[in-house]
Amino acid sequence: MPPTPCALCHTNRALILRPKDHSKLCKTCFITVFETEIHHTITTNALFARGEKIAIGASGGKDSTVLASVLKTLNERYDYGLDLILLSIDEGIKGYRDDSLETVKRNAEQYGMELTILGYDELYGWTMDQVVEQVGKKGNCTYCGVFRRQALDRGAARLGVKHVVTGHNADDVAETVLMNLLRGDLPRLSRTTSIITSTPSASSDPASNTNIKRSKPLKYAYEKEIVLYAHHKNLDYFSTECIYSPEAFRGSARALIKNLERVRPSAILDVVRSGEDMAKLVPGSDEGCGGTCSSNRPVAEEEEGGCGSAAGRTVGGDMASVEKQLAQNETATNNDLEVEITSPRPSTKNGAVPLSNGKKAKKGITPKKTNKQVMGQCKRCGYLSSQEVCKACVLLEGLNKARPKNKIEVGYDVQELQQRDQGVDGVADAMQQTSIGGE
Amino acid sequence: MPGKHVASATDEVCRRCKDNISVLIVRSEPLCHECFARYVHTKAIKRLESFRVNFAASVDQQRRILLPLSFGASSTTLLHILDLHLKTQKSKTGRTGFAINVLCVDEVDQVSACASRLELVRDQYPDHDYTSLPLHHVFRLIPNDSSLGALVPSSSDDDDADSKTKLFRLTASLPSASAHADVLYTLRARLIVEYAKQNACESILWGDSTTKLAEKTLAETAKGRGFSLPWQISDGPSPMGINFHYPLRDVLKKELLSYIELAQPTLTLLVHEPSPGATQASTSSKNTTIDDLMKQYFESVEENFPSIVSNVVRTTGKLEVPASSISELRCSLCSKPVPGGRFGIHGWGGDQHDGVESPSTVIYPGQLCYGCTRSLPQTRAETRIA
Repeated sequence: MPPTPCALCHTNRALILRPKDHSKLCKTCFITVFETEIHHTITTNALFARGEKIAIGASGGKDSTVLASVLKTLNERYDYGLDLILLSIDEGIKGYRDDSLETVKRNAEQYGMELTILGYDELYGWTMDQVVEQVGKKGNCTYCGVFRRQALDRGAARLGVKHVVTGHNADDVAETVLMNLLRGDLPRLSRTTSIITSTPSASSDPASNTNIKRSKPLKYAYEKEIVLYAHHKNLDYFSTECIYSPEAFRGSARALIKNLERVRPSAILDVVRSGEDMAKLVPGSDEGCGGTCSSNRPVAEEEEGGCGSAAGRTVGGDMASVEKQLAQNETATNNDLEVEITSPRPSTKNGAVPLSNGKKAKKGITPKKTNKQVMGQCKRCGYLSSQEVCKACVLLEGLNKARPKNKIEVGYDVQELQQRDQGVDGVADAMQQTSIGGE
Repeated sequence: MPGKHVASATDEVCRRCKDNISVLIVRSEPLCHECFARYVHTKAIKRLESFRVNFAASVDQQRRILLPLSFGASSTTLLHILDLHLKTQKSKTGRTGFAINVLCVDEVDQVSACASRLELVRDQYPDHDYTSLPLHHVFRLIPNDSSLGALVPSSSDDDDADSKTKLFRLTASLPSASAHADVLYTLRARLIVEYAKQNACESILWGDSTTKLAEKTLAETAKGRGFSLPWQISDGPSPMGINFHYPLRDVLKKELLSYIELAQPTLTLLVHEPSPGATQASTSSKNTTIDDLMKQYFESVEENFPSIVSNVVRTTGKLEVPASSISELRCSLCSKPVPGGRFGIHGWGGDQHDGVESPSTVIYPGQLCYGCTRSLPQTRAETRIA
């Protein structure tokens, strides 16, 4: 049997079965097509302006590495005139992030891009390892996601950059669409498919960290193709999964997306398309354009995209708590009680740590009307927020409350022992509170 | 599977009547036989308030509704409940709020099985009108709709192929199990709608349970038909020119299965439900359809997280098409309005520069919506582009 020729150039031997549409391509044509498609995404959505300084959110993983490589290539090939730099966030996860940051450092050299690394400890006084020690593994992704979103903006502001690009791919977007359907979160559903989001400035200060534009040039790129591209271009990336597990809803949606892709390769793109169309059907959404026109940018997500690592571990944790919450609401409705849906906030006396599904539960079930968020500024840190205090500050408050004020030292002094007990109690309390809120 | 729920009940007293011993646990409430039956009935009938007996209307102005019957658990139970409901209305008021036309669409190759099943149902509920139509009659009932006919691959020998041949040719041209299931489902829905309109029915009462509606939500999303969800999930007027109602929208599939098990054995005999394990059996992705995947998924979610299933349906129910943006342009296959006339899979951000573009992309004069384009191949060429 003669070798199949490439479906594009008809000359070379086809070596790659394109995950997106199962067309048979040679290596060169695949790379060209992949880059051209991203160029197409960039130009049709007018993502960039000449002379713009762009920070690439770089984690050392495949998505951001490919993004950096492709943007460098396209910037030169099509003369975008962009000033590209790398911005990395160090969550402080030992055995995961410290290795991947080494990759980012090598990337910076390979691509000749300036690199800035900003740590959670520097920004928030907590590394993720410390957070997990405090709150346990359940729900820690919420902390990580909320912190990371602000971290990129703060980092960008520090560098005087107004535009951050992230490596979110089509699989991530599709997964988020399904996840928001499963969680019944319409406001978020209407925002997730937007290719550009921004945190509009609430202050006129040009150095304000709330006026940062975000975009996802890989929004239509398949994860599998990103891996193939990285492989065939011999890109240096770090492949490992985050050692902490993802939220159950996201895990569940991810497993579903993978199965769909197996049955019909175009399904990932089809979900993205559905998501864009549904965004226009959300009542009260100002998304007439489905997030495709740049003049009307949806407000950025406070915790978008998850971390895009960790394979789908199935149903568990937070699905159970949402289930419980929903069941209670149903009972209340059936008994004709007034349905005021409140988040499962622990009582204020012990310093509540509301987690993200609190907010969602509140919004998802309000009868018939979808809340429209009014954006203001966090009164603590000035970051853009729909609440009086932004989510990061709320989470931090919870964390800081439970942190022992004094260093615990080993000693036999009775008083010190007592103090240590309190310290331990505090942590135990915090863990209990978190599990009430975020289980 | 239904037996499991019964077995899980304890010796607790029924939470509602506080009299009888419970037979199963429904959404964490132990219920007795009667209270459970009432629970299911109430959920269905509550949805049909607009169909109460209208004493002002004259007897010959009887309202007609169409009930499509697949002999599955949901549609059969719906018929059972409506039959009881009409009997109650009759005994109380001497008349009924509406009359039922039952339509059974014969699956290909199963015509005789359908006929005998329908006979059984007719014997059990003799007060209603029954019709059975083979699926290919969709081409007969929509004769002037050349756009549907145009989707059938033409053959050189005759252009006047009978409807049966047309259906065969159309399905033979489909590229995958998913496409096959999708196109048959779409044609079935169109046949039902067309029949209902031609027989002066004002509404179609679909049997879909909560679980089925949730499956449909995710399946249609996965097929790229997110734009059409409000028309497939919501009660009320549909752009198909007839009202849609889903009276079992608040009842879970597993609850319907329990209901059938607890009802008189006569009901059990009428139901032909594939066993729940059947959807999991197919391990080959080649034969698995998107609908199968979603069915499987929600069968498992329903088990432990029933409220999440309901919430998916409730949430989707909030999506609405702004009246101003309902398009006059229709898809030739599913006949749904295509917003902005965005036919086909191209012309949006995600299609980008497709790898292979054959010059004769469009061979059908009919225009298809995004989702239908995925199911119906656009070219006869061997290389099919996504």
